[in-house]
Amino acid sequence: MPPDGKIEDGIQKTATRANIFRSQSLRPYLLCVRSSLTAALSLSNFASQATERHNVPEIEAQTSPELLLNPLTISRNENERVLIEPSVNSVRVSIKIKQADEIENILVHKFTRFLTQRAENFEILRRKAVKGYDISFLITNFHTEEMLKHKLVDFVIQFMEDVDKEISEMKLFLNARARFVAESFLTPFD
Amino acid sequence: MALQTPAVVMDNGTGFSKLGFAGNDAPSFVFPTAIATKSGVGSAAGGGVRPAVASKPSYLTGGAGSGGSLAGKRGTEDLDFFIGDEALAAASGPGYGIHYPVRHGQVENWDHMERFWSNSIFKYLRVEPEDHYFLLTEPPLNPPENRENTAEIMFESFNCAGLYIAVQAVLALAASWTSHKAADQSLTGVVIDSGDGVTHVIPVAEGYVIGSSIKSIPIAGRDITYFVQSLLRDRGEPDSSLKTAERVKEEYCYVCPDMVKEFARFDREPDRFLKHTVTSPNGRSVTVDVGYERFLAPEIFFNPEIYSSDFLTPLPTVVDGVIQSSPIDVRRGLYKNIVLSGGSTLYKDFGRRLQRDIKQLVDARIRASELRSGGARSGGLEVQVISHKRQRHGPWFGGSLLGSTPEFRSYCHTKADYDEYGPSIVRRFALLGGPGST
Amino acid sequence: MLLLDYQNVLIQSLLTERFSGAPPTSIDQVVSDFDGVTFHISTPESKNKIRISMGIKCFKDLLQYGADQQLQKEYGSYITDIEPGYDFTLLVDLDNLPPSAEERESLVKSISLLKRNAMAAPFERAFDEHAEMAKEASKYSSETAPQGIKEGGEVMAIHYREQEAIYIKASHDRVTVIFSTIFTDETDRIFGKVFLQEFVDARRRAIQNAPQVLFRNEAPLELQGIPGFRASAKGEIGYITFVLFPRHITQQRRTDSISHIQTFRDYFHYHIKASKAYIHSRMRRRTADFLQVLNRARPESEEKERKTASGRTFRVQG
Repeated sequence: MPPDGKIEDGIQKTATRANIFRSQSLRPYLLCVRSSLTAALSLSNFASQATERHNVPEIEAQTSPELLLNPLTISRNENERVLIEPSVNSVRVSIKIKQADEIENILVHKFTRFLTQRAENFEILRRKAVKGYDISFLITNFHTEEMLKHKLVDFVIQFMEDVDKEISEMKLFLNARARFVAESFLTPFD
Repeated sequence: MALQTPAVVMDNGTGFSKLGFAGNDAPSFVFPTAIATKSGVGSAAGGGVRPAVASKPSYLTGGAGSGGSLAGKRGTEDLDFFIGDEALAAASGPGYGIHYPVRHGQVENWDHMERFWSNSIFKYLRVEPEDHYFLLTEPPLNPPENRENTAEIMFESFNCAGLYIAVQAVLALAASWTSHKAADQSLTGVVIDSGDGVTHVIPVAEGYVIGSSIKSIPIAGRDITYFVQSLLRDRGEPDSSLKTAERVKEEYCYVCPDMVKEFARFDREPDRFLKHTVTSPNGRSVTVDVGYERFLAPEIFFNPEIYSSDFLTPLPTVVDGVIQSSPIDVRRGLYKNIVLSGGSTLYKDFGRRLQRDIKQLVDARIRASELRSGGARSGGLEVQVISHKRQRHGPWFGGSLLGSTPEFRSYCHTKADYDEYGPSIVRRFALLGGPGST
Repeated sequence: MLLLDYQNVLIQSLLTERFSGAPPTSIDQVVSDFDGVTFHISTPESKNKIRISMGIKCFKDLLQYGADQQLQKEYGSYITDIEPGYDFTLLVDLDNLPPSAEERESLVKSISLLKRNAMAAPFERAFDEHAEMAKEASKYSSETAPQGIKEGGEVMAIHYREQEAIYIKASHDRVTVIFSTIFTDETDRIFGKVFLQEFVDARRRAIQNAPQVLFRNEAPLELQGIPGFRASAKGEIGYITFVLFPRHITQQRRTDSISHIQTFRDYFHYHIKASKAYIHSRMRRRTADFLQVLNRARPESEEKERKTASGRTFRVQG
């Protein structure tokens, strides 16, 4: 993967070249996440070995090491990566969203907080992100039984695409709004 | 700061919003809870500027392709809106569409509500929210998620210093403390809240709403207006517009002790028939006779069959039923403290009639059970309906009263608390004005 | 709403209603305005005499810079004894109003601008000083100017909020207005930075004749060595400097310029909040979109209701 992190300043002023690099690295990145996630999502119902009559996501419980698979990190660059932690009956997917500067940082923070605040509706959204990541999903065998597996993967991929887009659009909005506000205030002096 | 800033009290009802500062005896602003936004793009709620999805797969454009149009448009549509009376005025012209963000007492459209609040604070109240504590109201049985959404907006968008959310019915009870009849400042009672659209009967025990016993009656101010209008029409008055009917309702109506006797009395005393003069904008004026509707209109609360064929239970029976369905140990307190609130409870002698009718129901029941028990005597039951001067904006006034108490701030959740615990903190508020606080 | 009003809407609407001959009622309202200003509108003696009192945090500062004369000029005979707890009081007798409608309207206008007028005093003084110095300076060429004129007048400080202040300094070719500002919230601070950068750039890019705007986190040189001025140690206070050139402060524009620049802080904070509100509404929509995508993962419910030709419904057995 080309180390294109430096080119990524989020704003489209630097235009096409960055975009070419970007899309070139984005596609394999997403493809990689997609296939890894699909592979990881082979879950089965598995009752807890530690507590009788309990059935908990093993990846969260962490009580039986033999039920956990090797976690996997997919990195696009130093700012963007995905952590997939599979286990016998659950998978945890954590995403680190690109943040090039403090504006993006605060926007990502605001947005992920907004989403987790509504975790109830999302079912697979974890209320708290895994340390070092911005947002986490927890998919259990009950989810894969109820919902279509490939569509769940689609959701995660789409989420990753749209979140980046939303953040950069919000940043653009902020700049445009700031300019507009500044000019509106100064115009009466003119 | 030498002077502590007064708390801001906002009561956003379905029809009207009441805004003002704690400590005052009336809200500073009362206007419709309406927002007019630019139509066209604005039909998509909130900022309609989010560009359409690019036709190319989005990983090819990398979010850049569609973003350009946003910068070009500058995205200022979300600043172009009006609230309150200005919204109604703007919506009557072209280009703006009107929206009512509150439905059935609950906020339905948070985008609109957020902007409504923004304008309320910065344009009308003119306060820096960081300097002020806020007291907002909510209807009974408001889902906790709505509270969290409210807190999210108040703290994250506006950084308000502190927030308290109170149930309207509880505030209406607090408002009745100004009445001389309310002997002790108790938060137990039944609130009869009658606005424009619907009438609620809400039992409250020690500051907590007894949700399972709430009853609603589909008869309220609007129905009375329609009823007056239909009476005017039937008589063929020269002006029977809704506006005239409303004026007649507000100026001449009262509650009589007995409908049949009142008819006879009108026939005996012809000076009870009045005349109402309507002056239309073009200067022409017509006179409308005002007759039996003076007492018939509010009578639909007590004898709904004269107006509606679907809903036939009189208000006193509903109130009695609500109290009977409440836990037995609070019933005595509920009968003793029946509080009126809202514009449609302002008719003269409304409280007196209600009290008498409920008392009759209660006494009949007591007599029956005395008979059944064979000789036992009941100590009787006190029924008291409290009407007071601040009835019209009861919840707002209650908020103003509580918001101006010195301990109010300690009951609020502050911005620091919010940042520490997150929105779920507002699921619980200590009971303001409850036992032990004053 | 883009720009904030200069006047207090409540006072305006209240007085307009009273002055139009509505039946007199008693009033007793305490209302707030921006920057911790408190108004008390009451009818203490009779329903016909409306008393309007204002409490303003920096009144001591303002008095020092001639607020007295300024308010005297504006309100003259309406000024009355100060109500305890407040700083300035007006009394309007409804039986003694100016006869013509226009005069009454302008009285309403002027009373609703009470806060603006009080705050205007140091600006007025600075503008006057500037005019004098400009006259003085025109006698010299730039090399021969005596020290005093180059340096400009004293810096007037108005501590209008707990932690924030306005500094005004006149000199022969400009009047400098500096706002110190502080953000309690991290998001606001970052948004504020974006906004201020645009304020700085606006002149270069679009509006050539606008006042020059500078923004920095260290105290500007003008403020160094002012008695009572504490520079912030950690740089959490920002300083926004507006340089008003002579063209902005000519006699005919001065009133508007003063009104306008006073609203800067609140305008600035209002728009930070408004953009957060907008971002919220974007996030709401995006969240709804995400939910929709997620719901696609749910297989269509198997029990579908179907209708027969006669309109009855039945269920398809899975």
